[in-house]
Amino acid sequence: MTRGRWAATREALRAGLEELYAGPYRATMRRARREEDDLFMLVVLAEALGVPDPAAYWSAELLPATYEEFHAWHRRIGMERSPLDHVGCC
Amino acid sequence: MLLSGSGGGLSDGVDRDPRLVLVSGKGGVGKTSVSCALALREARAGRRVLLVSTDPAHNLGHAWGTALGDDPRRVLVDAGHVDAVEIDPARTVQQHLRTVGESLRRLLPERMHGPAEQHLELARDAPGTHESAVLERLAELVVGACHPSSAYDVVVVDTAPTGHTLRLLALPERLTTWTESLLANRDRSERFGAALRGLGGGEEHVDRDAELRRVLVRRRDRFAGLRDLLVDPERAGFWLVATAERLPVAETQALHTQLRALGIPVRRLVVNRRSPADGAVLTARRAVEDQHLAVLADAVPGVPLTEVPLLPGDLTGEPALAALAEHLA
Repeated sequence: MTRGRWAATREALRAGLEELYAGPYRATMRRARREEDDLFMLVVLAEALGVPDPAAYWSAELLPATYEEFHAWHRRIGMERSPLDHVGCC
Repeated sequence: MLLSGSGGGLSDGVDRDPRLVLVSGKGGVGKTSVSCALALREARAGRRVLLVSTDPAHNLGHAWGTALGDDPRRVLVDAGHVDAVEIDPARTVQQHLRTVGESLRRLLPERMHGPAEQHLELARDAPGTHESAVLERLAELVVGACHPSSAYDVVVVDTAPTGHTLRLLALPERLTTWTESLLANRDRSERFGAALRGLGGGEEHVDRDAELRRVLVRRRDRFAGLRDLLVDPERAGFWLVATAERLPVAETQALHTQLRALGIPVRRLVVNRRSPADGAVLTARRAVEDQHLAVLADAVPGVPLTEVPLLPGDLTGEPALAALAEHLA
């Protein structure tokens, strides 16, 4: 084999092995992060979901930063359409 | 005893002079009168005083014979002066929700502005919103005023009757814990995110994470700042007001116990409206009062106790308040 082809093959092998080993860990990390983020979203939206929240005054401040995530969140926790009547993301 | 050392604070006659005095006690025992008289005393001693009421049934304006509101208004000019505030929680809630609303509207498409408003309205009526607003406004006024470079030397807070005030005082610690648990959640999320990036995963959410953290940290620091101020005997202290009667004494004991549990220093007891030994009825009353006073002094040792005689006339207006202030020297 020429030097160039050997380098390309080695690179493909390395990438494949990395995916094989790192892939499951990436999935685990991604899922773990989502769990934390979903919990956070529940805290922020508690009052809107009908769970009385004495800290609603303070969690309201966190709404603007969590807005982007809202659609991805409700799909992820198994709701086809937005559970909040007044947030029409879909 | 007239003027404290550098940096402002009360001429309290004790070693340390706190900048912040909170006046509390059972309803109707004269908290407002004592707060106003204290403020007057300090102003006459050349200090710049901020006098704040957290009582939903505000009496501060009545004491000075003027209408007061959520912005400081000057009620007395002497060697120093007194500016008075009656906290309006509704206004604070309105401002808070408006600020959040503005951020949301910047991020949302036009069609969702109405729905976003509706969403925020839920927070307006949530349990705990009223108390939170009082706390926020109080923190804003007090922490600012107690800063070394502020326009005030002393802050006197006329608080709502006992129960309300205890719940209010417990909030900074609880809210600090609340924000810290959310920050712990953010820590974990960001750690997983960092691990994900290390494994070649996505670069999602970085700006959003930073923004959330920024908001949470700022809020946590404000709560922690107020909490630290309240438990610092060099900067803050409570005056408990009572009359020498059974229920006020019992409530004062309970309040003292609760404040100690919160770590908040109790600086002085003020017992109002002592009956003079003048005629059969008042003399008899005085004897009963003496008994209640003994119970109180016994239950709360080590806290200076000031007795104030029953004074003729209403305790409103500068002359009457000055007469009361004489007894608080």
